[in-house]
Amino acid sequence: MRKKMTLASVAGVATITLALAACGGGSGSNDGGGGGGDDGDDQTLTVWAWDPAFNVYAMNEAATIYAQDNPDVTVEVIETPWEDIQTKLTTLAQTGELEELPDIFLMQNNAFQKNLINYPELFTAITDSGIDFAEFPESVVAFSTTEGDNYGVPFDNGAAVTALRTDILAEAGYTIEDFTDITWDEFIANGEDILAQTGKPLLSGTAGESDLITMILQSTGGSLFDADGNPTITDNDALLQAIDVYTRLVESGVLVEVNSWDEYIGTFVNSNVAGTINGVWILGSIQTAADQSGLWNITNLPSLDGVGEATNYSANGGSSWVVSSNANTELAADFLGATFAGSTEFYDTILPSSGAIANWIPASESDVYAEPHPFFADQPVFQLAVEFGAQVPSVNTGAYYYEGRDAVSAAITNILNGADPESALAEAQATVEFAMQ
Amino acid sequence: MRSVPSLVFLTVAALASVFPLYFMVVSATNTSQDVLGSRLLPGGQLVENLNKLLAAQDLGAAMWNSTLNAVGTTALSLLVCSIAGYGFEVFHSRNKDRLMGVLLLAMMIPFAATMIPLFRMFADFGLTSTTIAVILPAISVPFIILLFRQAARSFPHEIVEAARIDGLRELGIFLRIFIPTMRSTYAAAAVVIFMTAWNNFLWPKVILINEAFQTMPMLISNLTSGYVTDYGVLMLAVLLTSLPTMVLFLVLQRAFAQGITGAIK
Repeated sequence: MRKKMTLASVAGVATITLALAACGGGSGSNDGGGGGGDDGDDQTLTVWAWDPAFNVYAMNEAATIYAQDNPDVTVEVIETPWEDIQTKLTTLAQTGELEELPDIFLMQNNAFQKNLINYPELFTAITDSGIDFAEFPESVVAFSTTEGDNYGVPFDNGAAVTALRTDILAEAGYTIEDFTDITWDEFIANGEDILAQTGKPLLSGTAGESDLITMILQSTGGSLFDADGNPTITDNDALLQAIDVYTRLVESGVLVEVNSWDEYIGTFVNSNVAGTINGVWILGSIQTAADQSGLWNITNLPSLDGVGEATNYSANGGSSWVVSSNANTELAADFLGATFAGSTEFYDTILPSSGAIANWIPASESDVYAEPHPFFADQPVFQLAVEFGAQVPSVNTGAYYYEGRDAVSAAITNILNGADPESALAEAQATVEFAMQ
Repeated sequence: MRSVPSLVFLTVAALASVFPLYFMVVSATNTSQDVLGSRLLPGGQLVENLNKLLAAQDLGAAMWNSTLNAVGTTALSLLVCSIAGYGFEVFHSRNKDRLMGVLLLAMMIPFAATMIPLFRMFADFGLTSTTIAVILPAISVPFIILLFRQAARSFPHEIVEAARIDGLRELGIFLRIFIPTMRSTYAAAAVVIFMTAWNNFLWPKVILINEAFQTMPMLISNLTSGYVTDYGVLMLAVLLTSLPTMVLFLVLQRAFAQGITGAIK
C-alpha cells in the first residue's frame, strides 16, 4: 500500500512538472553566464537589468539598433531583480570573483554612490569614452560621478510628478491648474477641501518610508548630506519643514498611510485616493487601472515656500548603466554611446510601448515625446516629465544615502507618534554617523 | 453540546488557515486590478495570465531546474542523513553524543554567515552556475539527522543482532532491514527536505549567476522586480510554485504524520 502511495506521489509531481515544462517551451540551454567578455575579440555584451517591460526591453531594442551598424555584436540581457544585482555585486566584490561580472549592469541612482565608494573595483570610468555627459541633466549625472570621473550612463527619468484624478477634482470644483506651481500650504488647503467634499484623500504613502520627504527636500536643493558626504540631518531647516509638511498631510487626512508598496499601488488603482506624488515611472502602475483612462492629469510638485531654492521640481528613483570592470570596455562604451547617449531613433522606439522616459535631453525634442497621451486626457506627459526633470535641483546624495533615508524614516514614525522632531532627528543623525564609522 | 464552541473555534481556525490558499487560487484567475481590489470570486483571466507569464518568463526551464534541484537534494540528503542517524544510534562510541552536539550547534549558525565563504569555495572549484553547487550544501541537515536518530531509537536492536548472526553485512542490514522498516520516517524527511529545497531562494540566487538555471522562487522574484507588477500573473506563478509541494505533502500526509511522531510499523 505504501509503495503505491510513494509511486503515486512521484507520478503526481512528475506529471505536473512535465506538463508545465511542456507548456513552458523548452528548457533554457543558452549560455547566459555572468562572465563578461574581457577578451578583445568577444563581440557579446552581457547585461544585468531587472524589468522585462522596461529596462530589459529597452536594452534589447538598443541591441537591435546597434546591430544595424555592428552586425557582429550580440547583446545578452540577464533579467536580475535590483535587490539581486546588489547582492551579487556585494558577493562578487567581497570574494574578488570579478570575472563573474557582466559587461554592463543597471544600477539604481540612489545606490550608485554607495557602491562606487565601497566597491570601486566593480566599475570602469567612462569619462573619456566619447559620451557627452553634458546632454544629461546635471542633477542626474551627479549620481554616477565621483572626483570628476563618470561611471554611469543615465537611463530612465526619475523626475517627480503630481498625478491627480481630474474627475474627483472636478467633483469638488478644482482643476489641475489649481495644483500647478503651488506651495505645500495651498496643496494641503485644497486637499482638506477635497477630502471634506468627496471623502477621498489626495495622496497615499507607505508608512515608515521617507520617499515623499526626500522629494520635498530635494525640491529645495537640500539633502541629508553635505558636499563632503557628512550627514546634515540635524540643524537642517529644509528637512524640518519637509517633515512638518508630511506631519500636516497625515494629520489632516490629506495623505493616508498604508502598510506596504502593494497597498500603496492598490489605493489609486482602486480609486481610494485622488492621486499620488512619485517618480514619473509610477505612471506605469497608474495605467494598470484601464477603467480610469482619460481621468488622470499630471503636474509639477508643490514647493516648500521660503526654504532654499523652493522649486516645484524634484526626483525619485531612476537608474544608470554601468560598464563593469570585467567588460570589453571599448565595445560596451561605444554601444552605450551610440544608443542610450546618442540615438533619438532608439528613444522614439522604446517610449510608446514601455513608457521609458529619457534623461538624454536631445530625445525630448522628438515629436514622439510631444504626442498627447490618451490615458492622461491627452496631456503630452512624456514631454512634461523631461521638462520637469531638467529643472530638478542637483543635490549630494552621499555614499550613505539609504542609511540616511532609513534613519529619517524611523525618525518620522517617532515624530508621528508624538516625539519631538529635533531630538528624533538628532537620533537619526547619530544612527547614520554610527553606520559610517 | 459541549463540543459546539470547540467546533465553532476549529471551523474559524480552519477557514483562517485555508483563506490565503483560496485567495491565491482565485487571484490567479483575476486581473491585476481585481487582485489589488481584493476580489474574492474567480475571474476569467487564467488563460491570459498564463500567456503573460509564459511570455515574460521561461516557466518550463524554471520548473525543470527547481525539480532537478529539489529531487537531487532530497535523494542525496535522505541517503546521507539516514546513514548518519542510523550510525549515531546503532553504533556505540563514547564521542558520538559530543559529535551530535556539534552538529546541532551548526543548526544555530545562520546561513547568511556562511554564504560568502561558501561562495568563494564553490567559485574556486569553478562550480558557480551548476546544479551541484545548489545541492551540495543542502545535503547534510542536522535536523534530519536528528529526526532519523530519534526514529532509530525505536528500531529494535535485536533485529540488528540477529541479522549479524545470520551473516548479513552492515550495509545489508541498513539497506534490507533499516530502510524498509523506517519508511514513514523517510517519507516525513522527504517532505521536509523537498519543501526546503524547492523553496530555497537565497543560495540559488547567489550561486546561480546564469539565468538558464533560474528556479521557481527566483522566477517569482523576477515578477515583482519591475516598476509595474501584474498581481494576477504573480499569483498564478505563486500557485504553480506551490503545487508540487502541496501534491507531495497531500500524498505523503499519513506517512508524514507517522514519521514525525516516530511510529514504526
